[in-house]
Amino acid sequence: MDALIVIFLTGLIGLFIGMLKKPHLNLGVTLLGLIIAFFLQLYHGYYTSPFINYQVLEFEVSGLYFSLLAIGFSILIVLGGYRYFKRDANHTGDYYGLLLFSLCGAIILIGFTDLFMFFLGLEILSIPIYVMVGIKKQDVLSAEASIKYFFTGAFATAILLFGIALLYGATGSFNLNEIRTVIQSGEYQSSYLLIGILFILGAFLFKVGAVPFHFWGPDVYQGSPEIVTAFMATVVKLSALFAFYRFFNGTFQELANFWTGALYFAIALSLLIGYIGALKQSKFKRLLAYSSISNTGYALFVLLSTSNSSLGSLWIFLVGYGCATIALLTLSMAIQNDNDEISAFKGVGFKNPFIGFILIISLLSLAGIPPLTGFFGKFSLLMNAYPQHLYLVILALISSLVGAFLYLRLIVLGLSKESESERVTIGLWHYIVLGICAAGILGAWLIVTI
Amino acid sequence: MELLIIPLVFGVISLILPANWSKLIGGVGAIVSLVTACIHLIRFDPLSQIVLASSSHKMAFGLTFNIGYDAFGLVMVLLTNAIIPIIFLSNWNRDLANNKLFTALVFFMQLGLLGVFTAQDGIIFYIFWEFTLLPIFLLLYWFGAKENNKVLFKFFIYTLVGSLAMLLSLIALGSAAESFAYADLKNVQLTQEVACWIMSGFLLAFAIKIPLFPFHTWQPATYTSSPMAGTMLLSALMLKMALFGMMKWMLPLTYEGISTMKWPIIILGAIGIVYGAIIAIKQNDIKTLFAFASISHLGLIAAGIMLFNIAAWSGAVIQIINHSLISIGLFLAADILEKRTGTRQLSELGGIAKLAPRFGFWFAVTVFAALSIPFSAGFIGEFILIKELFDFHIIIGITAATSLILGAVYMLRSYQLSMFGAPKISAFEDLSWNEMAVFLILSLLILAIGLCSSCIIEFTEPAFRSLTETLSSNQQIIE
Repeated sequence: MDALIVIFLTGLIGLFIGMLKKPHLNLGVTLLGLIIAFFLQLYHGYYTSPFINYQVLEFEVSGLYFSLLAIGFSILIVLGGYRYFKRDANHTGDYYGLLLFSLCGAIILIGFTDLFMFFLGLEILSIPIYVMVGIKKQDVLSAEASIKYFFTGAFATAILLFGIALLYGATGSFNLNEIRTVIQSGEYQSSYLLIGILFILGAFLFKVGAVPFHFWGPDVYQGSPEIVTAFMATVVKLSALFAFYRFFNGTFQELANFWTGALYFAIALSLLIGYIGALKQSKFKRLLAYSSISNTGYALFVLLSTSNSSLGSLWIFLVGYGCATIALLTLSMAIQNDNDEISAFKGVGFKNPFIGFILIISLLSLAGIPPLTGFFGKFSLLMNAYPQHLYLVILALISSLVGAFLYLRLIVLGLSKESESERVTIGLWHYIVLGICAAGILGAWLIVTI
Repeated sequence: MELLIIPLVFGVISLILPANWSKLIGGVGAIVSLVTACIHLIRFDPLSQIVLASSSHKMAFGLTFNIGYDAFGLVMVLLTNAIIPIIFLSNWNRDLANNKLFTALVFFMQLGLLGVFTAQDGIIFYIFWEFTLLPIFLLLYWFGAKENNKVLFKFFIYTLVGSLAMLLSLIALGSAAESFAYADLKNVQLTQEVACWIMSGFLLAFAIKIPLFPFHTWQPATYTSSPMAGTMLLSALMLKMALFGMMKWMLPLTYEGISTMKWPIIILGAIGIVYGAIIAIKQNDIKTLFAFASISHLGLIAAGIMLFNIAAWSGAVIQIINHSLISIGLFLAADILEKRTGTRQLSELGGIAKLAPRFGFWFAVTVFAALSIPFSAGFIGEFILIKELFDFHIIIGITAATSLILGAVYMLRSYQLSMFGAPKISAFEDLSWNEMAVFLILSLLILAIGLCSSCIIEFTEPAFRSLTETLSSNQQIIE
């Protein structure tokens, strides 16, 4: 709760500081706010918060872990995007403000206890992103992405609201725990409840970008600036997945037989369609969008498992995925790949060994090659799902094979010896971001496994 | 632990220091790790099981941190650490020796191999198994033939298919066991059907890497397009990971399924023996010829391993060592021919023995070692393996024994066409000192193992006894 307030105030202050048109001041304030929020969340419960009686938001241990991750990713994104935001000094404050407000939504989405707060969180998360996606006003693709994301997103929200209304009608409560009690007791209007659950499932699948609600993904990722893509692919996905887990593995647990079939279908298709779609792409962000669909498929495995360690698996998977995605998008910014072509990566890794190293470990981590964090994430997710969902596990392994082929092609391209391009040098901020991402990819699995 | 740390440290050092140091670092690092392995050997008691690192702390998902070796593992560690200096030595006068990326990649490769041979935990085994793929891939990509992307992808995807199947098997075993530690995995009791499925997962990984007959299609092209050191690493060490995996991991862990899986695999091995040899006889490209010869040799070893008894495994371990040494010699000879004449085609070579008598002599020695003449290590190894296969089934035995005859045909043919006959090449520079040294060391090692193979058999016997133990106790119950 305290962290949320700090982030919100930082965003607000940032808007006013933005009027001074001094980007570095904005960066400093934003970073300071995020770091304070990070530590407030880290030491949550070690001190008496003035908002202790506020029951609408609650952070359990897992919620704290996930919100730390969201704040951590935001810090990386703020740092990595500085060079991009600096270009337009008039609006630097606005960008950072929007990003922070969206992060507020993400944190609400992690800590909510009732449907009302959940809906608020989702909207606070989404609305700034609609704006940020269209931030390149002169760019047709950016405008297209913004419109597309806004309309489909609004539609999904409407469906979600309808689902929530049905849920309320069937159970008579907004509170997740109470709804669960009602479902356990069996005293509900069954058809309303089931339809409501289906609607909520659809809206969630839309938010995390899983098949069959994935069509917005590639266009929106391609149209937005790298930095917004990184935010959508990491923070938004993370908080939506956590909320998804809270709903389906917590509240709707007893009705698992009902929704597992639909989820099965979504996971299986996401695993395959994502990577297969990515094979033919020539735009880098589009490729990442497709590969993120498949990664979402992996992450959704967490909903199938009933074991206690499953949230830990999701967390470590998201660390690996998020660090790798941020590293790749930062690289794309660092080499000034404005046209977003994959071929721009040709040989950059061979000319500059640091870039090569980051490229190798982040792509291999996405491909799930040990001993990187991505491997442990996938391994533990599959391990949890193993005995009950054997066929889905086999499908996941097949899909990761296609993925490995995809990522390997990028590695080979980046490490090619034949390249006319000059040796790329990258700025200090990018070095820091890439270094932190590399540390996460190489070592973060130790946190969970040990 | 220092066994694993030394290659890592030298690999990183060679990346940091400028390129003109890398030759020195390569030599020193390889020697240091060889000496370390020898110290381990002196201290070792064949009856014991050495633990290099172990944590009582249980990690999440049943992971454990266990590293150690038994007598068999130590033999493989020694083999690795002996082959790496030879690879550096054979590259000593070439451009690659002064390339720091090359030196580092070989050291990382060594790290991965040593990890595979010392892993005592399923997931650690898998991690190192996958880890070896990366350095060899980069080695082949950067220093191999140009435009070999297609071959490389085929290689990578093939091996990855196998690895993922193995991962599935490990997950299946591990979810039934307390943890992934070797001892825990071994304690799992499986029904025969499940054991067969799990074994097939392992088998896919190993069969692709060995390679067994229908899974071999990646191999000849990959060998042909790799640089010499890459081919040496692949055939002398990487394939041995798979044979090691069969003996240490696949069979002891899923012995319940062995009675079903024995026949198909042995038959595949036997087919490989004849198939590889026949294709080798018709080959014109000398590197491809040796690649198919390797399929033939390894088919024999794989068939022998599936017999799952101590005698056959003693033959297998001698043959594993022997094949590593021979393949180094053969691929060095092939590379010398290619470097100095610009071609690998046998039809364009000829009469080199007159131009380069020393090369003629040492190549002949290697060829005869590959023919398993008496006093060479191959004689003992192949003899034991073929005898055991005869005892198993006479037709399999006869098929396996043809490898000796067919082997003589393709080996002598390749030697005759390249070294004798009318000279088709005007000049041929004779061996340099480092190439001579490599051939000399290899011949001495092969001779030494051939003369006192009983040391190795006795040395590994206790380890094999404990690995094959489960089945024999089971049999006693049935009797």
